[in-house]
Amino acid sequence: MKKKGKSIQAKQQRAGWIYLTPATLLIFVMSFYPIIQALITSFRTGPSSRMKWASPLTWNYTRMFQDKLFMRSVGNTFLYLIVQVPIMLILAMILAQILNNKDLKFKGFFRTCVFLPCAVSLVSYSLIFKSLFATQGLMNHILTSIGILKENYNFLGNPGSAKAIIIIALLWRWTGYNMVFYLAGLQGIEYSVYEAAKIDGANSWQTFWRITVPLLKPTIIMTFIMSINGTLQLFDESVNLTSGGPANSTITMSHYIYNNSFGVGVANFGYASALSFFVFILVAILAAINMKVGDTRD
Amino acid sequence: MIKKRGSVVQRRLIPSYIFLIIISFISVFPLYWMVTAATNSSVDVARGKIVFGTKLMENMRNLLAGQDLWGAMKNSFIFATVQTLVALFVCSLAGFGFELYHDKNKDRLFSLLLMAMMVPGVATMIPLFKMMSRMGFLNTVMGFMLPAISTPFLIMMFRQNSRNFPVDIMEAARIDGLSEFGIYWKMFFPVMKATFAAAAVITFMNAWNAYLWPRVVLTDKKAQTMPILIANLSAGYVVDYGMLMLGVLFCSIPTMIIFFILQKQFAEGITGSVK
Amino acid sequence: MKRRKITALLASAIMVGSLLAGCAGAAPAADAAAPAADSGEEAAASAEEAPAAAAEAGSNSLTVWAWDANFNIPALKAAEADYKANVDPDFTLNIVEQSQSSDIENAITLAGSSGDYSQLPDIVLFQDHFIQRYVADYPDAFVDVNDAEVDWTDFGEEKLSYSTIDGKHYGFPVDNGTCIFAYRVDLLEEAGYTIDDMTDCTWEKFIEVGEAVYEKTGKYLLSMDGDGNDLFYLMLQAEGLSQFKDGKPYITENETLVQIVNIIHEMCEKNVCYLANDWGDYTDQTIIGDMVAGVMNGNWIIPTIRQVAENSGKWEITNMPTINGGGGYAANGGSSLYVTGNCKDTDLAKKFLAATFGGSVETYDNALRDGGVVTCCISAGQSDVYNEGVEYFNNTPIYAQIVEMGGHVPVIEQNDFHYTARQYMAAAMININNGADVMTELKNAEDQLIFEMEGAAQ
Repeated sequence: MKKKGKSIQAKQQRAGWIYLTPATLLIFVMSFYPIIQALITSFRTGPSSRMKWASPLTWNYTRMFQDKLFMRSVGNTFLYLIVQVPIMLILAMILAQILNNKDLKFKGFFRTCVFLPCAVSLVSYSLIFKSLFATQGLMNHILTSIGILKENYNFLGNPGSAKAIIIIALLWRWTGYNMVFYLAGLQGIEYSVYEAAKIDGANSWQTFWRITVPLLKPTIIMTFIMSINGTLQLFDESVNLTSGGPANSTITMSHYIYNNSFGVGVANFGYASALSFFVFILVAILAAINMKVGDTRD
Repeated sequence: MIKKRGSVVQRRLIPSYIFLIIISFISVFPLYWMVTAATNSSVDVARGKIVFGTKLMENMRNLLAGQDLWGAMKNSFIFATVQTLVALFVCSLAGFGFELYHDKNKDRLFSLLLMAMMVPGVATMIPLFKMMSRMGFLNTVMGFMLPAISTPFLIMMFRQNSRNFPVDIMEAARIDGLSEFGIYWKMFFPVMKATFAAAAVITFMNAWNAYLWPRVVLTDKKAQTMPILIANLSAGYVVDYGMLMLGVLFCSIPTMIIFFILQKQFAEGITGSVK
Repeated sequence: MKRRKITALLASAIMVGSLLAGCAGAAPAADAAAPAADSGEEAAASAEEAPAAAAEAGSNSLTVWAWDANFNIPALKAAEADYKANVDPDFTLNIVEQSQSSDIENAITLAGSSGDYSQLPDIVLFQDHFIQRYVADYPDAFVDVNDAEVDWTDFGEEKLSYSTIDGKHYGFPVDNGTCIFAYRVDLLEEAGYTIDDMTDCTWEKFIEVGEAVYEKTGKYLLSMDGDGNDLFYLMLQAEGLSQFKDGKPYITENETLVQIVNIIHEMCEKNVCYLANDWGDYTDQTIIGDMVAGVMNGNWIIPTIRQVAENSGKWEITNMPTINGGGGYAANGGSSLYVTGNCKDTDLAKKFLAATFGGSVETYDNALRDGGVVTCCISAGQSDVYNEGVEYFNNTPIYAQIVEMGGHVPVIEQNDFHYTARQYMAAAMININNGADVMTELKNAEDQLIFEMEGAAQ
């Protein structure tokens, strides 16, 4: 009897392993193996058809830190990260809070409107924003006709405004997406918890910090990790909205790596791999910090 | 009395309504612009014409003449659908396995797999291309979807949602002689429908919108997908904005439809995953 | 336990295998979307099986990749029609349009780095400035066409210098990138000038005219893509200089280049020149959007100018200004056709190219008529078609003019990092126009360029 019980358990164990094997294998072959490959390639140089070991081996890595353009792409990416992610997540949270009000009417309509940008592909919205903010484009038209601008402004041709437009575009595209996660989280919180807090005399600000935030913590951490990850890998917008310009002032890390792999005619896979490994380490560190911060608040 | 209270509440909500209306307007306006632009001539789009024009058919003719629109739509549709089906199967199975059969080793493995979330797309692009070309998967649905089938995010989503799955029933079913796969197929799948719907929406949108990897693996024009087609439209030597926006519109319609159809299930599915 | 795990792993591996096989079953559906390309390749593949018989039977189709539907594609169609009519009526040329030249470069890079050239077509159109490096980096990607039956001396020397590598011919020149300066004569007149004032003029004079034109008409006398910046390359070539000297960047020490940068800055300040954000803005907003009274670029820009139908008859062309006057000549962005290492029938490819772009008047006349592609082949440029007046350009024979101007283009030092240099120069220019110091920015550009050249040399 005992033996039989064990074999049933074993059978279940085996079933469990079988279930997760396809996914595991795929991740190993499609993510881990290539990143190890990239690591190896990052120690090599030369044209991609006949690469050789770099001498010294760390050549690509030391080079990276002398590369002003790469450093600028890192700076740009972090600028997007630091400015855009907090604004987006706070805005998403505010929207979720408002939409979670049970007295609110037309909830479905508003929710749909706010989420709608997520249905548009990254390439599409980049192109939409590009034409909206063109020098002769609609935004200039509107801003000059209502008197905010005296003459048409070249939004995408000036480093500051071009960065701002990338950030605005990102906010437009992703706020609704994060809002849905928060809204879902908020709907999972029993109304009675809030009622109890109200009876205890907590104001809405206190309720938010003492009840909502702790209960939503896993969701908040998840959205943070997703956003950081997404921003550090920003590519489509940089390529299609500003082409990294003007004067490389909006180029992102991924875009610069792509340029080194294909870019303007001179492929340098060794260097590109070193750069992408650097990005991998960055993302991993940030995600680890994020999870740690999430943990210690318990 | 109740009515009065209701009107007081509604009055207090006025700032909320105004805020929501503004945000909704900002959210929808660029899409409205996309639709109007698709009906205008390139010059009008470039000059920021904001109302509907009469050039829709002309843009359509130009688009069809210059590009294999239906081919790209078909490719996008096939690729995204196949990827969604396979990804849902593989990841739900894994999420199911990780949560309901969990032990220390599986939990450790799960943490390891989460690392894959941090692997940037550009880093794996070249090794994956070599792999795909060696396996003869360039320009095929296999090459398109293989790197994107198994994602930590989806596995995590299924795993989180499985927490609500009634484990007791599993035991009962086993005693009734249902096989382990039977449990997945006959019990897990129906119960988790909302999660599947949410996962389907996310995966389909990601697959449909994918740009960087398809740009690498789909070397043949005949295999190109919609995002590549519209990016190409904008990268040509002379860009016809009306035609471009029509292409953008075509690229956006399917994902919007999917979202509208599955909106309710999507919200439910997400709810489960963040509990 | 361990063994069990292994069996479990194996079992699931089999599962994945069958799963993948299941998907592979779905794959043909997608593949079915590519029947035309496949059949083309099949035909070519069967030719490979029977190489001897290939020339007579079966093998009469080639695939070519090219970009620009308004320009190169009509030229290729003209060549196909020519070959069909005069050599082989069963011949078909399968032209696959690429959205931009970099698509082809990327395809070669990917093929070269994976060692799998099977995705490449028989012939590719390739940018002149890049070909030397690509042949050096990916020697298997191209085959030389030295033994094709062509009178190579009939082509301009400057043009041929790009596609000649180690003394061997690799490419058939297609478009001639001779730079034109097109002016709206009606707007010049409004400001009190004529096209003759612009011919052989100095940049100083040009700026004077430009200011007058902007004041009178609100149009810029010149616009350019600020991001890819062809402007100083062209201005520099017109002075007979390059951004490179003896294989090294020649920027901060190049006084003429510094002078040119200052001229461009002055032009931008005085609303004589408008720098667009990118290529799309340059063509769509400034040229098609009718913001300019003058366009200076390779003559392939002509179809873009002609898109504004209402301005027909108002344009004329002449040469470029220079610093000291006397007429400037330059060339920009030409391309040539190359036979790839994956070509299934190199003899057919060579035969086809020799019989068409190798000097056929019929091909070049139709290429000009349908696409505005101006020949690099001297004898073909003397036909009647070239001497016809062009209505859009006030009935002046612009094509004969272009061929004539092409003869004056100075040969300057070329480098694999041509476009990289331009890119950094463009960035410097944008910063200078935003108020940065000229020499600091040029130094940055030079440093960055040296940095990148060292990277590839390692």
